Amino acid sequence: MDELELLKKDWQKDTAEYPQLSAKEIYPMILKKSSSLVKWIFYISIAELVFWILMNTLPFLSESYKENFDKMEMSDTLFYGLNIFSYAVICIFIYFLYTAYRSISVVDTAKGLMKNILRTRKIVNYYVIYNLVFLAISSIIAFYFTITHSPEFSQQLTELDSNGEAFGFWMGIIFVLLLTIAIFGLVIWGFYRLIYGILLKRLNQNYKELKKLET
Amino acid sequence: MKLSKELEHRFVEELEKHQNIVHKVCRLYTNNQDAHNDLFQEITIQLWKAYPKFRGDSKFSTWMYRVSLNTAITLYRKGKRAIKTQNMDDVLYKVKTEDYDDTEEQQLKLLYKAVHQLNDIEKALVFLYLEDKSYREISNTMGISEVNARVKMNRVKTKLRTILNP
Repeated sequence: MDELELLKKDWQKDTAEYPQLSAKEIYPMILKKSSSLVKWIFYISIAELVFWILMNTLPFLSESYKENFDKMEMSDTLFYGLNIFSYAVICIFIYFLYTAYRSISVVDTAKGLMKNILRTRKIVNYYVIYNLVFLAISSIIAFYFTITHSPEFSQQLTELDSNGEAFGFWMGIIFVLLLTIAIFGLVIWGFYRLIYGILLKRLNQNYKELKKLET
Repeated sequence: MKLSKELEHRFVEELEKHQNIVHKVCRLYTNNQDAHNDLFQEITIQLWKAYPKFRGDSKFSTWMYRVSLNTAITLYRKGKRAIKTQNMDDVLYKVKTEDYDDTEEQQLKLLYKAVHQLNDIEKALVFLYLEDKSYREISNTMGISEVNARVKMNRVKTKLRTILNP
């Protein structure tokens, strides 16, 4: 293509076309703080980790929650087992996240850099999904324990049972519970789509463009 | 302390010498002077952060191509100063005129305009092509195979032709 050759000729004329910066001007530039995508993702990941750790621990600081929790009569072994499990998961995630961040390097190939950033994001996503699933399961269990251990509730249930309305009642409860979980999940999912949609749109597009070549 | 000062000094010296590489990347990926400066700043930070690990087994300039392109394509997020309406005249003012006759000058303007319409990846290929890099180097920088780099470059040329002659 002749035109591109013409462009090349013009391009390579290394004349003083650009305003040249002196060493004196460059010095202050290297002290400035970066605002790169990786930095943004890093801060958001930390915020996510902190958010979910707080979600798991804060309720236990409230007295009423503790009382309710005690009422559930969960065995100590199960309670401590679950606690150890959830902290182990946090540690594992922090480790994976750390190694993933270490693998992000600006001197990598263009494709390698994008791949590692996306991989890091994926690890945080898995962590969020794990928390959502854990939350859903534990709220179902907590709900079950609460209603089966409440004397008023079992009394009401016996009454309903004698009227033959127990089945409909249970269905209603399950429906409300599932609906709450679905709405909660949807809100969080939407929130994520928004943050990462904005943040990673360009990266995803470029990565796709490079991947397209392989097929 | 002395060592880090030395490192700083060496880096600034090298960057000063090779700054046109960064300017050229900025020229391709931005549309006005503010955005140009903003991207230049971010690339400088990334270069400086990566510099302690620069071993010198590749040329400083080759290493700069990578960091600059990676920053422009992937790491850079437009700063407040860079968000401005596109100003094509800003892009075009850089075309030097004195050495060309009118037709060539006109053609160059159109060419630069066309290159600006390409996507990020295509721009990177054009950049490396204009810098006279071999397909092997292009493939190494982008992380795609040499064959794919060739194929893609041909597609970019076709695309440019279509933009120029709709």
